[in-house]
Amino acid sequence: MKTYLLLLSPRFWSLVHRIRGGEEGSTGKLFFMAGVALLFWGGIFYGFYKALEYFKEAEGFGLVLAHKLMGMVWLTFFVILVFSNVITSLSSFFLSKDLDLLHASPTSLENIFWARFTNTLVDSSWMVVFFGMPVYLVYGLVFHAGPLYYLSLVGVAVPLLVLAGALGVSATQILVNIFPARRTKDILLLLSILLIILLYLLFRLMQPERLVNPDAFTTVVGYFASMRAPSSPYLPSYWATAVLWPQLNDQGLSDALFYLAMLASTALAAAMLASILSNRLNRPGFNRSQEAARRIIKRASPLDALAFLAGWPFASPSRALIAKDIKAFFRDNTQWSQILLLLALIVVYLYNFSVLPLKKSPIPTFYLQNFISFLNIGLASFVVASLGVRFVFPAVSQEGFSYWIIRSSPLSLKRFLWTKYWIYLPPLLVVAEVLIVVSNYLLDVTPLMMVVSSVTIFFLVLGIVALGVGLGAVYPRFETENIVQVATGFGGLMFMILSAIYVGLVVILEAWPVYTLFVHQLFGRALPSWKLPLIAACFVAVAAVHVTAVVLPMRVGLRRLGDREAH
Amino acid sequence: MIELIKVSKQFRQVLAVDNLSLKVNQGEIYGFLGPNGAGKTTTIRMIAGTLKPTTGQIRIDGRDLEKEPIAAKRVLGIIPDRPFLYEKLTGHEFLRFMAGLYGVSNQDFEERAIELFELFELGDWRHELIESYSHGMKQRLIMSSAMLHRPKVLVVDEPLVGLDPRGGRLIKNIFRQLKQNGVSILMSTHTLSLAAEVCDRIGIIFHGRLLTEGTAESLLAQAKGSTQLEDAFLMLTGGQQEQALARFLDIGRS
Repeated sequence: MKTYLLLLSPRFWSLVHRIRGGEEGSTGKLFFMAGVALLFWGGIFYGFYKALEYFKEAEGFGLVLAHKLMGMVWLTFFVILVFSNVITSLSSFFLSKDLDLLHASPTSLENIFWARFTNTLVDSSWMVVFFGMPVYLVYGLVFHAGPLYYLSLVGVAVPLLVLAGALGVSATQILVNIFPARRTKDILLLLSILLIILLYLLFRLMQPERLVNPDAFTTVVGYFASMRAPSSPYLPSYWATAVLWPQLNDQGLSDALFYLAMLASTALAAAMLASILSNRLNRPGFNRSQEAARRIIKRASPLDALAFLAGWPFASPSRALIAKDIKAFFRDNTQWSQILLLLALIVVYLYNFSVLPLKKSPIPTFYLQNFISFLNIGLASFVVASLGVRFVFPAVSQEGFSYWIIRSSPLSLKRFLWTKYWIYLPPLLVVAEVLIVVSNYLLDVTPLMMVVSSVTIFFLVLGIVALGVGLGAVYPRFETENIVQVATGFGGLMFMILSAIYVGLVVILEAWPVYTLFVHQLFGRALPSWKLPLIAACFVAVAAVHVTAVVLPMRVGLRRLGDREAH
Repeated sequence: MIELIKVSKQFRQVLAVDNLSLKVNQGEIYGFLGPNGAGKTTTIRMIAGTLKPTTGQIRIDGRDLEKEPIAAKRVLGIIPDRPFLYEKLTGHEFLRFMAGLYGVSNQDFEERAIELFELFELGDWRHELIESYSHGMKQRLIMSSAMLHRPKVLVVDEPLVGLDPRGGRLIKNIFRQLKQNGVSILMSTHTLSLAAEVCDRIGIIFHGRLLTEGTAESLLAQAKGSTQLEDAFLMLTGGQQEQALARFLDIGRS
């Protein structure tokens, strides 16, 4: 036990030091992030509360739906937890840098296993527990549950987490013995992305909006009929629901105790089995994970051609940086694989426009088409900002520990930042224009709206990319091992907030002049002379917002990066 | 040449470098010695431009690093002790990237790259990703990149870290050759034999201050009774450590 606690202590002390003595202003950042997390928590709580209240009041199928939903949420959480444990345990059992030290020390493999198992469990589960909590609290509140429900909730959650952890860790031990750890990480990452894309596309192509359409009611009735069918009694999510549901409906404890015992004993057995498996498979798996992959890169590859093409208009130092960034991006599986997500996003985005039931609306179709087209500027910009936070914002942090090369070289920071800007601008411009032009085409808008929206999005992308590069320079995270995590920090959040403000401001400033121009053109009326200067003033204000959005973040980023010292 | 004029560096409560002044002349190899935490790496990082001095001035080849950073860095080659590189590039691509940053022409690059890969025995690995290189190979790649643009000034932090004896011999010969070509070299090291062997002058830094500087012979003369640079170094930086070490080793002998 003493050794087990000792092995956990570095993580504990690192956490304490991070909370206590971080950089200047880190306490403020922590409070801000906690505030945003609580806001999300409250949002989930409120949304579920409304949904469950509605279900409870609905005669007949309301209770069935609430019961089914509980099982589905448990199942979803369970699957997420198992997957998350697989990914986390890859690092904590096989790739973590301190493993050499641990394995060289006179510590038993068993102690290392339990300490790493605890780390994996905490790292993989805390977020699911935090954001899942409101769902089950809402169940208790809506169904006026007694204290026994909340006690059972803890009794169910703990073994379920342990079970998911044990399954995840065991799966990793086996996988690493089949493939090398680094390759397994890539395969899992790709699989998870493909799974998300598949679920996303399936969900969207099912057209859930048909459920609000009375014509499709027969399908809905059939759907509920199928819901009454029981789910598999072998699933831990079924056991969890079987423990909790009776507490909400005063149905006694006898069945609940049986299922609780099932959960606890299965979790314990799975954890013990995982430990035995680790004793057998950890060492050979760890050895395999140390193998370095030799990858010979062909000269004159398509990547070279792309790098040459992208860097062609620039001077030598920028060209070198562009070539380096493009090659590093496409050779990193964690980076390029996310382009698949991007493609799915575009497909679904455009699909939504193709199935909009505009003709069923009481508002004239022509009017509505153009109105939606205008709102679409904001929506498409938000999609661009989401891409920006994932790809543009980490552009500076991407240099990582090699940032010393940039700082000690004769490349000025100004050129460094602006080169980053030019690397990310063209692809985001293409995505944004495709979204706008194709959706406008599907909406069949007027030429005026086509011009207004494609020009507006063009300038918005200029600003969003500058915000991404600039804020990425204000909040760089050169120490991070996983570049994907850069977007999830305080800086990423600030980027999303500022992008939303920027896009909102532009859309608001353009709304009145565009509406005025549109209406006058529609009815063939001449524009009164007093409106012209006002319209011009609005567009000047829009131009000023764009210039500020480009110049200000780049300047601040440059100054902050200049003040920052490299490793 | 390198010139540090009253340079200090303060990290929160710690004064890492304290009013340091030193000069490395053209064609001179200057050894920078000192115990761990003395301020050697901080000084080197300030010269490299990755850290800003709190006060003082650094001049590289006559140019103020603060006022003319680009011109100063163009003639500077840096070899850090930890080989952090772009792991997803091949060795050849990395050198091409460095050539781009330092403005080496394409034709010159191709010739230099072949020479350097051959010199540092990396030819077979040049089209493989850096992530598959060993520590020593990465160190040799950094050395190649630092010499790619024919710098007038070379700053090296621990040149022998990660190198095998063959690599160590190679680097000594290269330093001597560079010196003959008029390159100024500032080298921090814990390998006192290396300092004694190749350095024209040696400076000893302790608690961020330059304790003393001179040739290896003059340092031996300063530390009376010392016949080796190691003894002189220990005496000048606090000989009691040696006694403590002996006591510690006695405890360990059971």
